[in-house]
Amino acid sequence: MYVCNCAGVTERDIHEAVDRGATSLCDLRRELNVAADCCQCACDAKRCLRERKALIEQVALSNLARPGKLGDLGLVA
Amino acid sequence: MKADRKIITALNAVLKSQLTGINQYFLHARMFANWGFEGLNKSHYKTSIKLMKESDKLIERILFLEGLPNLQSLGKLQIGENVHEALKGDLNYELTSQHVAIQDAIKVTGELHDFASEEMLRDLMQSCEDNIDQLETRLSLIETMGLANYLQTQVEDDD
Repeated sequence: MYVCNCAGVTERDIHEAVDRGATSLCDLRRELNVAADCCQCACDAKRCLRERKALIEQVALSNLARPGKLGDLGLVA
Repeated sequence: MKADRKIITALNAVLKSQLTGINQYFLHARMFANWGFEGLNKSHYKTSIKLMKESDKLIERILFLEGLPNLQSLGKLQIGENVHEALKGDLNYELTSQHVAIQDAIKVTGELHDFASEEMLRDLMQSCEDNIDQLETRLSLIETMGLANYLQTQVEDDD
């Protein structure tokens, strides 16, 4: 689904941005121009960001015994 | 004829939902056309125009009740990246935005004895439920016959 209709940003775009290191809505705005025009998607974008961060954390925790880079953790977009 | 402010607010909430629907259905229709699904394009385009005509009636009613129809406010569009997501987005819009707004407005107009508005809203509710029925049918067809088979039924022959 599209999260931000003004900038044409999808859930997947946000997930990828988080994987690249975005941690806040400000980061997303800087990178993808999300929630910059009408701002109606701010809540949705934040939810997307939170979900992805939680997933990364979960995967990182389950891989504690096997240290590696974030890219090696087998995240799916 | 001056009406209670609550009625104007409730009618404006329905108008906001209608205007959101017009845009969502229209964009989805043209996305379907772009992907080559002429059948879906036609039916979504028709729904969008129908919502437009209904909005016209709402606007006229709000003006008659000496309120200002709010054409500025628009809800969030739920745009899908593919046919399945688009149809799910439309169903979600009908259930969480349109149906709820109309239901609330019917309650308010009934309580305040504005029976003409109530009757108009009941017609809107009927058409909202027709849309829900159509979308649910489409989604269940996708489930039973598979997405690829369903999409094939929506492609029209090139003449």
